[in-house]
Amino acid sequence: MTATSISADVRGALATALATPLASVYTSVPETVIPPAVVIVPDSPYLESNIIGKDQVRVKINMTVSAAVAYNNNAGALDQLEVLIITLIGLMPVGYIVGDVSRPTIISVGASNLLSADLSVSTYYTQVA
Amino acid sequence: MATTIITGRDITISLASTNYAAQTLSITLVNAPVITTYQALTGKQYKHIDDQWTLNMNLLADWGATSSLFEAMWTAFTSAPNTALSFTMVTATGASFAGTAFPVAPTAGGTAPDAQTDTWAMLCASTPVLTIT
Repeated sequence: MTATSISADVRGALATALATPLASVYTSVPETVIPPAVVIVPDSPYLESNIIGKDQVRVKINMTVSAAVAYNNNAGALDQLEVLIITLIGLMPVGYIVGDVSRPTIISVGASNLLSADLSVSTYYTQVA
Repeated sequence: MATTIITGRDITISLASTNYAAQTLSITLVNAPVITTYQALTGKQYKHIDDQWTLNMNLLADWGATSSLFEAMWTAFTSAPNTALSFTMVTATGASFAGTAFPVAPTAGGTAPDAQTDTWAMLCASTPVLTIT
């Protein structure tokens, strides 16, 4: 991918591609998470320089796509999370490497509990002026 | 002398006059010398009789892309497998290796979650020439 900014051309493009009626999609961690939500956050290592040459800056970008749903009852929340993640995998655009989905965990955001799982995603990015 | 460190990011590779650094994860130019050993009455004697250089490349596959390296290599391998392709590898500014290497058949396919990659071991037709500037 040749582009001018990771924000617009990677995270933004990924959020656009993952747009689904099932959840709100954020390119970074929002101030308030309203479930169901999909949040694109950096993974570790975030940027890898694993391509030779330096005439242009080329990096592999590792990201986590966190999917979260309201945790009202276990069976319903898990089913909703599974549907959301399967939908996200189906919407993944060309050029993105899809990894594994982590074990769902319960996280507390504000006064609400969310059931969340992380999907590993990576892509290659070439910076142009 | 001061310590000098060069990395893979200092490398550029041109194959048949096209720069393919953007697709290349790693590259090495390796020699396998043929040295014959003789057991003489005075002890072992060695004779360097031949060299075989190999250009090893680990690449991200780019089937279907504009000016695809893999498609170009496939075409070269199927149409002229006995015609060596020219290459120039610059390991760092001022050190350039030039030579010719025979095309190989790119491997097609990959593993589901990962990027499609391939490793090429291209036999060189002769000893590469190092130009130091």
